[in-house]
Amino acid sequence: MKTILRRDKLKIYADLLFALYSESPEEIMPTHIQKKIGVPFDRFKLYVTELVELGLVRDETSMELTEKGRQYLREYERVLDFIKRMGLEYL
Amino acid sequence: MLDLALFTIEVVSVIICVILIRFMVMPFWVTGQSRYLGLPLGFAFLGASYAFTALSISQFITFDYIWWIQLFLRAFAFLFLLVTYLLLKENRNQFWNALLGILIVIFTVLIVLTIIFPQVLGPSYFTAQIYTRIFMLICLSYISVHTLKSHLDSPDPTTLMIPLGFVLLTIAQYLQIIWVVDRSFLSFWSGIVVRMGGLAVFLFVSYGAFYSSKRTERE
Repeated sequence: MKTILRRDKLKIYADLLFALYSESPEEIMPTHIQKKIGVPFDRFKLYVTELVELGLVRDETSMELTEKGRQYLREYERVLDFIKRMGLEYL
Repeated sequence: MLDLALFTIEVVSVIICVILIRFMVMPFWVTGQSRYLGLPLGFAFLGASYAFTALSISQFITFDYIWWIQLFLRAFAFLFLLVTYLLLKENRNQFWNALLGILIVIFTVLIVLTIIFPQVLGPSYFTAQIYTRIFMLICLSYISVHTLKSHLDSPDPTTLMIPLGFVLLTIAQYLQIIWVVDRSFLSFWSGIVVRMGGLAVFLFVSYGAFYSSKRTERE
């Protein structure tokens, strides 16, 4: 049986930021991003609002990453790399 | 002269552990998962144990049970690291907060008992040291095998160093046991050199992960 792991909010934030980062700002489609990270649309909108409030995303319309958002992603990536190097996993 | 060299080595070990704590706490800060708290706690206890060893060598502060305290600190350091790797799949923050909290309470009770009721310690420090160091050897061996297995499961040059770091700490612990039993100065000093090598590997891995010029590229 396939095990479905529950993602914590921080991981969803990171997945969302990575999805936004991988799209060029002119081509960001909310439904595309929402499907990519696998959350219902109402929760997706809520997460975007929270990321805007945290200053990681510019606004809810353009959904462009801010410099703070990019910096957070870089830090997050480094930590994931460190966890892997330490022989641990990030669930 | 030897005491000065030993004191310097212990102080350097403390400094390395303090630097490592800064890196080891990052997974917890960034992910918010308490299961990564064992890493900074482990290195904090390890650093504290080296600090107590340095204090006892320097004789700035002397009290009867300083060696017991450094022994407990070191044993709990490796215990924190062991539970982090042993219960790798456990992801509930409540579980981890409770487990780490219980371990800290047990450690505090042991220290209080050591200071207030030293008679409960029972066996001599010599005997206790052998058993405790064997326990530490088991903890480190498990972590070494685990990290090596994890590397072999998905071979990657970046994951090779940590098993090496833990293997060096395991060898250092083994040499310390030989020193305790045999009083061989060769094993004592080789143990210290190997231990420093192990700590240097951890530093190398941490700097490599946080200061490499890698770009954010993820699917």
